[in-house]
Amino acid sequence: MLFPTFTFAIFFLVVFVGSWLLMPRQGLWKPFILLASVVFYGWWDWRFVFLLAFSAVANQLFAKAIERAAAAAARKWLLAATVAVNLGVLGWFKYYGFFITSVANTLHAFHLNADLPLLRIVLPVGISFLTFRVLSYGIDVYRGKLRTSSMMDFAVYVAFFPYTLAGPIARAGEFLPQLAGPRDPRTIDTSRAFFLIFGGLVKKMLLADYLATHIVNGVFTTPGSYTSLETLVGIVAYSVQIYCDFSAYSDIAIGVSLLLGFELPDNFDAPYTAVSVQDFWRRWHMTLSRWLRDYLYIPLGGNRKGQTRTYVNLFLTLVLGGLWHGAGWTFVFWGALYGGALVVEHRRIDVRKARFKRRQRAPAPTGAEADTGDFGIAGANTGDLGLADTGDFGFAAPAPAGATVDGAPMLSAAAGRAAARASAARASASGPAAGSQLDLRPWGGGVWPRVGTFAFVTFAWVFFRSVSFGAALSVFGQLFRHWGSVGAAVTPAVLLVIVVGIGIQYVPRSFMERAEAGFSVLNPLLQGLALAVGFMLLDVLGPAGPASFLYFKF
Amino acid sequence: MDERDTNRLPFGRRRRTAASALIAIMVALVLGAFFNAPAMKKTAEGMPFGGARSFKLALVGPLATVSHWLLLDRPARLTAEALGKPAPGPSPVKVVVVTPSAHPSGKPGKVNPDKPLPRPYPGHPLHLYIAGDSMAGIPGMALVNLSNKTHLIKPLLDYHISTGLARPDFFNWPAQLQMQTKAFGPGAAVVMFGANDRQGLQTSSGKVYWFGQPGWTAEYRRRVREAIAILQDGGTRRIYWVGQPIMPDPTFNRQIKVINGIFQSEAAKHPGVQYVDAWSLFTNPSGGYAQYLPDASGTMQQVREQDGEHFTYAGGMRLATALMALIKKDWLSKKGTGAPPPKPSGRPSPKATTKP
Repeated sequence: MLFPTFTFAIFFLVVFVGSWLLMPRQGLWKPFILLASVVFYGWWDWRFVFLLAFSAVANQLFAKAIERAAAAAARKWLLAATVAVNLGVLGWFKYYGFFITSVANTLHAFHLNADLPLLRIVLPVGISFLTFRVLSYGIDVYRGKLRTSSMMDFAVYVAFFPYTLAGPIARAGEFLPQLAGPRDPRTIDTSRAFFLIFGGLVKKMLLADYLATHIVNGVFTTPGSYTSLETLVGIVAYSVQIYCDFSAYSDIAIGVSLLLGFELPDNFDAPYTAVSVQDFWRRWHMTLSRWLRDYLYIPLGGNRKGQTRTYVNLFLTLVLGGLWHGAGWTFVFWGALYGGALVVEHRRIDVRKARFKRRQRAPAPTGAEADTGDFGIAGANTGDLGLADTGDFGFAAPAPAGATVDGAPMLSAAAGRAAARASAARASASGPAAGSQLDLRPWGGGVWPRVGTFAFVTFAWVFFRSVSFGAALSVFGQLFRHWGSVGAAVTPAVLLVIVVGIGIQYVPRSFMERAEAGFSVLNPLLQGLALAVGFMLLDVLGPAGPASFLYFKF
Repeated sequence: MDERDTNRLPFGRRRRTAASALIAIMVALVLGAFFNAPAMKKTAEGMPFGGARSFKLALVGPLATVSHWLLLDRPARLTAEALGKPAPGPSPVKVVVVTPSAHPSGKPGKVNPDKPLPRPYPGHPLHLYIAGDSMAGIPGMALVNLSNKTHLIKPLLDYHISTGLARPDFFNWPAQLQMQTKAFGPGAAVVMFGANDRQGLQTSSGKVYWFGQPGWTAEYRRRVREAIAILQDGGTRRIYWVGQPIMPDPTFNRQIKVINGIFQSEAAKHPGVQYVDAWSLFTNPSGGYAQYLPDASGTMQQVREQDGEHFTYAGGMRLATALMALIKKDWLSKKGTGAPPPKPSGRPSPKATTKP
């Protein structure tokens, strides 16, 4: 079931009414929302509902066992089993073919032909997101940050339909506390919800899909048919397309959740305004970057084991993050590009920091380091999730401890959102003034670091989008072949959509908040009328049929 | 309305009640449905004939009528007109047979198989038109890439998802073929239809034949002949009619075999038309479905997408390579050519593009 369809609108209307009618009776509400989520997920392929059920039951059993186990060794083994089972399921569905073909082709290269079993395995939609969600539960229980919930609560967390298919990756600690009691039907942030949903539809239908069909798909699939300028515009257009597509899904998921009374963490914060690759990862897919930081980078050692090891950890985390996106070497390379870029940026800051210390003949100001929250920069990296500012390597900052469930320290979605925004703001503002005389931004601020970061990100997207290295090189090669003419695909409309797709990221947040505030005081009839007119315009201006979201396949 | 002032947000944004949200949602959906009723009706009409289509039409048909009476369909129509877009909703006239020059009876077009094919040369490339549904998309892209490498073939990829020969009321392929042959002037065409055609066919008399009925086969056969005739009438000297590949679902495969059989027999009847067997190109050594196959160098590749039906790029390249071998044999090899190229016709030939 796709968000931009009338089918989903009817589904959501039924769920919305049923949810708020049953909300006071949690014993009825939870089975209801679970059933609705199962219907939503099963709409794609009913067989995958069994995967959800398996994931919920298995992870709950593991988490309970971890919680009950007294011996540290037993807890560790149980956690290892949890991780192994979840990654095993993910590996089977997502990486089996990649693994087998890689092995077969390696053997073939050595003239060794093995008859390996090549099976047709259907990839359950959103399985990568599911895996990371449920892993956060088991790991947080192991770390003592979270107590296990009831089976029903956990099942709702696993299957909650707004984020099932493509995130945001709401952690157990961010979502489960919201199931502790009924949500208040009198305090819904409807205006923000409507803005997020409608804005998401605009980004998806008018910007992302337009660019996909009018230039991006052609440039990336048949590069030889396009001029160099068309290719360049197509590459930039893909940067805009993937942002508008993915952030649209996140926005709609957050908006739909808000209408049901639940807060999900933000996932994007104007990523193309980033002044460095570090900054980019604080703003792009923030829930993934936070997840990678807390459940991969820090367990690898973070920045606690010296500079070299920090760089290795950074690189490994990004490479694995790349592989998370897709089973292919281009995704690995894409991750490696970012890993390498982060290492370069960290190295640059480390050198600057060392010079600063030498000049001062004293340790750098503690406040400046702690403020940055950047791995490799901050002195302390405790790995203590949520209880201290552990720093981030360009990933969004951890949420502060706040909410509790059964007395256990928890992370709330709202706190996570605030922390993520603060992290991004801090990173952008941490110029020389913020750090006394030590500029902690790898490339400084201003226009050129932004342009350079965008250029690097856009370059990397080519590998992300291409089906093979050969295809990526074909696209790059086309940049140098036909500069003689503009090409028919470079139209004013395409350029306008690109400018709008980037420009909206430079609109101050306060502008949208003022608009949301103005909308919030309108009579609901007028709100509905405005939305109806908006839907009509989307229908007229948008594509003939809904296109699937890019991140579904991840 | 019970609002809580204690829950104010930035810039005085107010939280509202669930009832308030419900009112806004209901107004948006109901009014939105009236605004977009013609487009919804068009979507319903495009569904395969059957109960689901009838049910949906029973719902949105009256909605569209009321919307029209209340002038609520005007804003969308006027907006579309102002933007130069087609008006939302069903076409006022159901076009099935395109023009008098089309061939409702399936009469072959003007092709002289004995006349040698003109050999393309730099500046006078072979115009290769690639048409079909979503199954033709990826192989078409691969074929475009292979064509560009020759510098002697100018490709035009024209594929439209969810289309076929079964529902000209949804997408009028005869009209499209005629328009493209006129504009592009193809010397050769690669066509691939059928994956979406396992549904009821409505004849010009209004009678609907269900898939598998004798009437269905006769009507579908006529449409294949019509497509061939339009292409040949437009000057297409060679048509490479690609059959559907093996599918993972046995029921789908049984239906595909029926459709492929029609393609194959019609191709055999018409000079200048060659049936390309994609089925066997995607089977494993035991003749069964294969998700992975080795390429020419022996490297194992995933050739079918996750849905099991559509091609990956590697799969598309597999089919495109086979097609290019045929095209080269017919048009570029010394053996199969020899005639001087035709004089430029003066017709505008669109740039090679991909159309989803």
